[in-house]
Amino acid sequence: MNALIKLLIFPGFGFLFIAALAFDWIDRRMIARYHGRVGPPWYQPLADFVKLLAKEDIVPEGTHGLAAAALPIVSLTAVLTASLYIPVGGIVGASFEGDLIVVLFLLTLPALAYFLAGWISVGAYSVLGGHRSLLQYFSYEVPFLMAVTCPAILAGSWSIAEIINSQAQTAWSALMQPLGFILALIGLIGKLKRDPLDIPKAKSEVVAGPLTDFSGRKLALWHLTMNMQTVLGIFLLVNLFFGGSRLFDRVPALPVFGMKSVAILLALSTASALYARLRIDQLMDLGWRVLAPLALIQILATLWIGG
Amino acid sequence: MARTVIPIGPQHPLLKEPLAFQIMLEGERVTDSTMRMGYVHRGIERLCQERTYVQNIHLLERVCGICSHVHAMTYCHAVESLLGIEVPLRAAYLRALLCELERIHSHLLWMGVLARNIGLDTIFMYAWRDREVVLDIMEALSGGRVSHAINIIGGVRSDVTPEDREEILEQLTTLDRQVTRLVGVVEHERSLQTRTKGVGLLSLEQVRRYCVVGPVARASGLDADMRRDEPRTPYDRLSFNVPTHTAGDVWARTLVRMQETRVSVELCRDILKEIPEGPLAVRAPRRVPPGEAISRSEAPRGEVFYYVRSDGSDTPARVKIRTPTLPSLLTLPQQLKGVTMADVSVVLSGVDLCIACADR
Repeated sequence: MNALIKLLIFPGFGFLFIAALAFDWIDRRMIARYHGRVGPPWYQPLADFVKLLAKEDIVPEGTHGLAAAALPIVSLTAVLTASLYIPVGGIVGASFEGDLIVVLFLLTLPALAYFLAGWISVGAYSVLGGHRSLLQYFSYEVPFLMAVTCPAILAGSWSIAEIINSQAQTAWSALMQPLGFILALIGLIGKLKRDPLDIPKAKSEVVAGPLTDFSGRKLALWHLTMNMQTVLGIFLLVNLFFGGSRLFDRVPALPVFGMKSVAILLALSTASALYARLRIDQLMDLGWRVLAPLALIQILATLWIGG
Repeated sequence: MARTVIPIGPQHPLLKEPLAFQIMLEGERVTDSTMRMGYVHRGIERLCQERTYVQNIHLLERVCGICSHVHAMTYCHAVESLLGIEVPLRAAYLRALLCELERIHSHLLWMGVLARNIGLDTIFMYAWRDREVVLDIMEALSGGRVSHAINIIGGVRSDVTPEDREEILEQLTTLDRQVTRLVGVVEHERSLQTRTKGVGLLSLEQVRRYCVVGPVARASGLDADMRRDEPRTPYDRLSFNVPTHTAGDVWARTLVRMQETRVSVELCRDILKEIPEGPLAVRAPRRVPPGEAISRSEAPRGEVFYYVRSDGSDTPARVKIRTPTLPSLLTLPQQLKGVTMADVSVVLSGVDLCIACADR
């Protein structure tokens, strides 16, 4: 019974769904403030989701129907599975030595599904967007993985819970490895395809990228996957770099965790309001000439301190 | 490497008006492109021959949705020179005031569209917010935010009262502050520069060959501006500088347009301060003597040219319009060659296309 509650309600799917919509709303509100606009009311993300569910589901001729239906489900499943291993305020669905690697693996599956969504489409924009998403994947994923490895090296464990515990004894990883944290944050922006790294779905260039031909329920699932991925990515960074829910011993765990998560979300919103979109070749340059070497330096530094 | 053909338009999020491109890609690089236009052709020049001179003012104001006033004004100039009448000074000042407001409005709108197309929504929102002030001033002046219907043959239709004048001067102060801030942000925005520098290059020679006009030509080093080179009242009484750059890329066009916006704000102030008292219009005869006339003025996108021929009746025998967008459109295949797919949006936004003008 307890396991079922953990799976379905908290910190499982129900909580994740609400958090995904809430984070989407906070993000849109925040960007609107930067723009000098008011922004949407709190129920707008939910309304968008319900609206898309109710809309007609069109599969263009020439698209593999089964694959088009399976891809959003696969990526949503991967994200939901990953959520089981990410602690929320110290509460976690399941945990074992090495769960960090599983989470990282599961969180890359949506990127692959996204590329395939472009690959199976017949539209030129989808194909081009799919190619771009794969190129983008190669530029952000390596620095991202190297950056999130650093806290694990410092803790001497691949278990997220163990990394949180070890930060409680020393200090937040973000303080000890600020460079690693910034790299992970940039990697996360790339992973989530947010502004300014929304290259695969840049509206003025490839319309909506691989999702151009999706509509109705499938598009709703894609959007939900993206929003949940945002939440999980932020939760992962909070756990790895900000010591999870720990601030001072007296302060209750959940509010602290929530505040840290929202702080990272605000950093993401700020980045998307401030910068223009990069070109894909500029991102490749950035990823391989700047981010990857920096991540390497961070790993070496971590090995030197911690090893 | 695989060759792909990417259609852009006639419906595409990048284009605000219908225009069709077929972009031939090799990988992400453009090797060739073809263009098709005419989706908003309304046959305005032919329609002009069926309507009277007065009705045509209304029609020609609808050539363009942004620079509506300058079209009607240039047409009126041509008809007035056929009639041999001189517009009263106050009317000339009011016409020029709306021209300058339109320039600010058009340039701010363009800045927003460019920023939006490279994913910089913040500047888009700021530019369009500042543009609201201009629209408010226009509404106070003529009653319309986009179509002003202020021109009549022989002068203008509505006046600016002393109270309005004070209020507009106050709004111009607000606008000046906001525009200065926006220009400061744009000029120092690094991510904007990385996307626009070296993109959409046009050399001075190409500009001359294709007869490109306006900010696009001035960004390539062609120092031409109808307001200064062939001044009508009141521009011969006002002093202003014409910003030019030599780089010839989209970044240079951005700088030229932003500096022009500031010049125009100053011009608006000067016009309002120096506007003389007097009548708004002179009486114009209904029938136009046979003959032909041309007139040129500096629209926000460059020189707009009108040719009017009269056969002595109350309808013109021919009206020919040359809009500034057309030569810019013709340079697009040149500009697109060799850029990446991501830069197509920058190139297309950079020239400030007005398809409705070009198609007429």
